[in-house]
Amino acid sequence: MTKQVKICLVLVTVIVIAAIAALLIIMQPHSKSGNENNYIEIIQDNEVLCIIDLNSESDRTFRIEYNGGWNEIKIESGTICISDADCPDRTCVKSGVLKYKNLPIICLPHRLVVRFADSEQNGG
Amino acid sequence: MKTKRLAELSMLTAVALIIFIIELRIPDILTVPGVKLGLANIITVYAVYRFNAKEVCLVVFTRVILGTVFSANFSAIIYSLAGAVLCLVGMLGVKKIISQRYIWLSSIIGAILHNTGQIVAAILIMRSFAVAVYYPMLIIAGCIAGMFTGICAQLIVSRKLPEK
Repeated sequence: MTKQVKICLVLVTVIVIAAIAALLIIMQPHSKSGNENNYIEIIQDNEVLCIIDLNSESDRTFRIEYNGGWNEIKIESGTICISDADCPDRTCVKSGVLKYKNLPIICLPHRLVVRFADSEQNGG
Repeated sequence: MKTKRLAELSMLTAVALIIFIIELRIPDILTVPGVKLGLANIITVYAVYRFNAKEVCLVVFTRVILGTVFSANFSAIIYSLAGAVLCLVGMLGVKKIISQRYIWLSSIIGAILHNTGQIVAAILIMRSFAVAVYYPMLIIAGCIAGMFTGICAQLIVSRKLPEK
């Protein structure tokens, strides 16, 4: 093993450890019990479409249209998820309910972001 | 380009595409945007160590463009291309330092660069840093998948085509 290979190996290890550390910070569940606000932002193309207060919102589903495509957003007993969409990968639907404070639901093809509004300072 | 070379590259591209299409049938393990096994990259890594830069680029870009056509996910091509360009630049450079015995390591570096390209493209397209929180996940998943593809490529590179 030459010196350069060793340097690369150390570099990769450092990156992986940093990524694991960052992941532990990001994967904190959003605490619903505390008196934290429960506001949700729905953002498309970097424009805030609407802000929803999950504590007071009644159960409903609605569609967000984008360039001929759509995402169906479902609010149910204080949780929010994308229940259906016509995007090709449907990753947003499979992501399930929004539960991590800093981890938004993202639909890349429709440029849609659903996240907790108080994650603004962390998410940039 | 010699006909034999051309045939060899075409065959590699075809193999990569077949792997790509089979992989589309495998359900996602993680529901994170951008995370994939990337088994077709076994061919990419193999090509990086066997052919010159121009030939590798031909194989990879043909695979990405045709793969997009076959999977009908046209919005993904920008992320794939951004990842592929950064990954290729990095791997062709790293190839000079890392010998054939440590292909798995250079494959991991390629995976990290691929994910970086994807995230940068996503940030530019979404015009928002919201996607950046997925970066650590992509890196970890990418390193595991990258090591696997690297080991696979390492097993193939040491074998030679029969000369006739």
